[in-house]
Amino acid sequence: MSGVRLGLLTVLGLALVAAVAGGALGTAARQRVSPLLGALVGAAAVWTGALAWSGGTGRVVVGTVLPGVTAAYAPDRLGGAFLVLVGGVTVLASVWAFDGARGTAASRTAWVAYPLFVLGLLGVMAAADVVAFLLAWEVMAVASAVLVLADHARRPEVVGAGLWYAGMTQLSFLLVLGGFAVLASAAGGTGWSDLARLAPDAGATGAGVGLLLLGFVTKAGAVPVHVWLPRAHPEAPSHVSALMSAAMVKAGVYGVLLVVVRLLPAGPSWWGLALLVVGSASAVFGILQAGVAADLKRLLAYSTTENVGLILVAVGAAQVTTARGDVETGHVLLVAALLLTFGHAAAKSVLFLTAGSVLHATGLRDLDRLGGLGRTMPWTCGAFGVAALGAAGLPVTAGFVAEWTLLQALVHAGGPADPRLGLVSALAVTVVALTAGLALMTFTKAFGIAFLGRPRSDGAAAAHEVGRAERLAAAVGALAVLGLGLVPGPMATAAVRALGVDGVTAAGTTLAAGVRLGGVAPAPGSAGEAASGTAALVPVLDPLALGLAALAALVVVAGVVARLRRRAPRRAVELGWGCGGARVSPRMQYTATSYAEPLVRIFDAPLGVSRSVATTTADAPYVVRAMSFRQRVRDVFEEHGYRPLLRAAARVGDAGRALHNGSVHRYLAWSFATFVVVLGLAAR
Amino acid sequence: MSSGDASQAVALLAGLELLTAVLLAWRGPASSPRGPLAVQGFALAGLVAVIGVAEGEPVLWLVALLVGVLKGVVLPTLVVRRPSRAAGPAAPPAADRPATVRPVVRPAVVRGRSRVPLLLGAAGLVVVAYLAARPVTRVVTGATGQALPVGFALVLVGFALLATGRRSQSQLVGFLVLDNGIATTAFLATGGVPLVVELGVSLDVLLVVLVLQVLGSRIDTAFGAGAPGGTDLDQLRELHD
Repeated sequence: MSGVRLGLLTVLGLALVAAVAGGALGTAARQRVSPLLGALVGAAAVWTGALAWSGGTGRVVVGTVLPGVTAAYAPDRLGGAFLVLVGGVTVLASVWAFDGARGTAASRTAWVAYPLFVLGLLGVMAAADVVAFLLAWEVMAVASAVLVLADHARRPEVVGAGLWYAGMTQLSFLLVLGGFAVLASAAGGTGWSDLARLAPDAGATGAGVGLLLLGFVTKAGAVPVHVWLPRAHPEAPSHVSALMSAAMVKAGVYGVLLVVVRLLPAGPSWWGLALLVVGSASAVFGILQAGVAADLKRLLAYSTTENVGLILVAVGAAQVTTARGDVETGHVLLVAALLLTFGHAAAKSVLFLTAGSVLHATGLRDLDRLGGLGRTMPWTCGAFGVAALGAAGLPVTAGFVAEWTLLQALVHAGGPADPRLGLVSALAVTVVALTAGLALMTFTKAFGIAFLGRPRSDGAAAAHEVGRAERLAAAVGALAVLGLGLVPGPMATAAVRALGVDGVTAAGTTLAAGVRLGGVAPAPGSAGEAASGTAALVPVLDPLALGLAALAALVVVAGVVARLRRRAPRRAVELGWGCGGARVSPRMQYTATSYAEPLVRIFDAPLGVSRSVATTTADAPYVVRAMSFRQRVRDVFEEHGYRPLLRAAARVGDAGRALHNGSVHRYLAWSFATFVVVLGLAAR
Repeated sequence: MSSGDASQAVALLAGLELLTAVLLAWRGPASSPRGPLAVQGFALAGLVAVIGVAEGEPVLWLVALLVGVLKGVVLPTLVVRRPSRAAGPAAPPAADRPATVRPVVRPAVVRGRSRVPLLLGAAGLVVVAYLAARPVTRVVTGATGQALPVGFALVLVGFALLATGRRSQSQLVGFLVLDNGIATTAFLATGGVPLVVELGVSLDVLLVVLVLQVLGSRIDTAFGAGAPGGTDLDQLRELHD
C-alpha cells in the first residue's frame, strides 16, 4: 500500500470517527476529543498532501449507490499542494477550537458537521474524476451550510446569512455539475485523463468551461457572485470562518487551476481574459468595501474577495500570456498565484482566529467600539499584527513576496513584441497597485483602531487575554506568515513542481523578474542561467536581505527611542483642551468610520453610501443638545443585481399561485391533463 | 368455447363496462350510482372468467369470483352507504359543537349541472383512448387485443369523473371506474393476472374506498351534508399550513 493511499484512508477513517464522536459524546468530553480529532484529520491531510506533492501516488476508490458508478480519489502534485493547505488550516482552526469553540459553535450538530466539512474539502482536492469531485463538493457545501447556521436560534441575522449562503453554494454546485456534465459527455468519460483529451477550442468545451469557471468563482467569492461571503463569514463561528475563508474559498481557486492549467492548458485566451476581468473587479471592489467596513469580520470577509481577485488576476494573466506565446512569464504568474494562495491562507486563518479571540474577550465585532486591546491581549495583538502585514502585502511576510512576484511578472509580460498583451498587463498592474495601497489603509485601520489607542467601550476596556490554545494557534499561524515571507525559496520551488511547469526555466524567469527566491538555482546552460546573466539590469529583491534590513532598521529605531527617552524624562502633559494633541477622552480618537471617511468621499458612488445626521436642538436654534450620525454602506451588486432578481422571482412565484387555489378539482384536473398529454405523446 | 365465441364474449362484456361508465357520467346528482357500478363490476368479473375459460386456467376463475364479490357487491354498497347516526357514536348535539363550525343548511334539491359537456367529453376520451392504444393493440393479438382500448377509455373516463365530481361520492365513483379500467387493461393485455397480485390490488382498493368513505362522512358531519352525495368539495379550498 502506497503512502498516499494509506494517508487517504487515514483521513477518511479519522474524519468519520470524528463525526461519530461529535454526535455520541457528552458536552465535556466533546470539547476535548472533537478538536483533537479535527487536528489529527488536518495533520493526516498535511502528511498525505506532502507525499502527493513530492510525487507520490495512491488511489482510493469509493463505491456509490448507483451500480457501476465509482468515485476515485488520487491526488496529483497540485492536489497535494492544496491538501497541505487545507490540512494546515484545519490543524490551526481545530487547535484554536479547544478554547475558542463555545456555546452553539460547540454543539453536537456543529461537531458532527465540522469533520465532514473538512472531509469534503479534502475530497475536492484529492478527486481524480468528475463523480468524486462532485460528491465531495456537495458534502463540503452542505456541511458548511450547517456550520454557518450554528447560531441561528439566538441571532436572527444568522438565518438570513445561512439562506444566502445555501442558495449561492447550491448555485455554484449546479453550475459546476452542468459544466462537468457538458465536458464529460463531450469527452465520453469522467476521469480527469478523459477530460484532458478534449479539444480546447471546440464549442462544447467552451460552454462547459464557461459554466465551470462561473461555478468556481462563485465558490471563490468573486464579484459579482460574492454576496454570500460578507454575510456567511461574519456569522459563522470564528474557526469555521477561518476554514471557509482560508481553505474553502481556495476550493474555487483549485477548480479554476484544475480546468485552466491542469486539464486544458492550451485553451483560448478568452478564458484568461474573463478571469482577469472578474479578478480585477473583485480585487478593487473587495478592498473598497473592506476599507469602509466597521465590522471586523465583515472587513476580513471583503478582504477575502480582494485576495481571491488577485489570485484570479494572476491565473487569468498567466493563461493569456501563455496563450499568446510568452510561456515563461505565464509560468511565473502561475507561481505567483500559488504563492498568493498560500500567503492568503496563512494570513487569513490567523486574522479570523484572532478576530474570534477578540470577539470572545470583548463580545464585540464592531471596530468603532474596540480599542486599546494591545495592552490587554498582547499575544493576540502580535499575531493579528503580523497577519495584517501579510494581508496588506508588506515586506517580511508571505503576502509581500507573492504580490511582488505578481507585479514583476505583470510588468514584464507583453513587452514591445506584443502591445495588446502589454496593454492588458498594464491595466492589471494598475489594479494590483491600487489594491495594494487600499489594502494597506484597510489593515492599518483594522489593527490601529482595534489594538491601539484607548478602549472605546466598556466591553473593550474589560478585555482579557484568551486561553492557551487560542494563543498557540494564532502564534503558529503568524510564524507561518513570517516564514513564507522570509524564506520563500522552498515554497516557490514546490509551487513550480505542483504546477508541473518547467521548473528550471520558470525559476530562472522568476529570478530575472526581480524576486530572488532563495533555493531555486538555474541549471547550467538553461534559459534560466542566460536570464540570470542579465539580472544585473533588473532590480532584484531578496526577501531575506530585506528582512535583515528591516531588523537592522528596527534595532536602530529602538536604540534612538530608548536614548531619547533616557534624555528627556517623562513629563505629565496636562492640557485643558484637546487641540494640543492630548487625547483626553476616548471619544476624541479616530474611529473606524472616521478613518475611512476620505475613502467614502472619493468612492461614494461605487460604494452606494447613504448617511444621515440628526440634530436635536434645545430651545434656542444654536444650542445643540445631541447629534447622531448614521452611515450605511450598501453592496451595489446586491442592491441593483440581486434584489431586482429576487423580486422578479417572487413575482413569478406569486403568479404560480394561480395554478393552485386549494380546490381538489384543480389539482385533479392538472394531473388528468398531464396524463392525457403523456398518453398522447407516448402513442405518437 | 371456441376462440371466436371468446372474442365475441370479451367484446360484449367490455362494451357493457364502457356503457356503464358512460351511464355513470350521465347520471344526475339524485340517482344512485350503485346499479351501474355493480353491473360494471360483474362485467369485469365475467371478463376474467371468459379469459380463464379461453386460456384454460382454473386459477382465473377464483380471481373472477374475488373480483365479482368485491367490485360487484362490496364496493358499490360501500360507496352509497350513508353514515348511520344510530349505529356510530352519538353525534354531538348542536349546542356542543364548537362555535366556529357552523352547519350549512342547503336545499334538499340540488340544481344539477348540465351533463352534456361531460358526455361529449367522454365520447372524445374514448376516441383518444382508441388512438392511444394503437401501439399496444398492434402487439397484443388474439381475442383480448381488440377490446384493449376499452380499458384505456375506462381509465380516462374514470379520471375525468374524478376530476370533475363535485361531491365526495362522485369522486369515489370516478376512482372506482378508474380502477376498473386499470384492471380491465391488465387482464386484457396480459391474459390474466396472478392471484397474488390481484389479491393485493383488491385489498388496496378496498382500503382506499373505506378510508375515503370515512373521510367523506367526517367532512359531512363537520360541515353538514345538505345534499345527497355529500358536501360540495368546492367549498373546501382554503389552504392551511
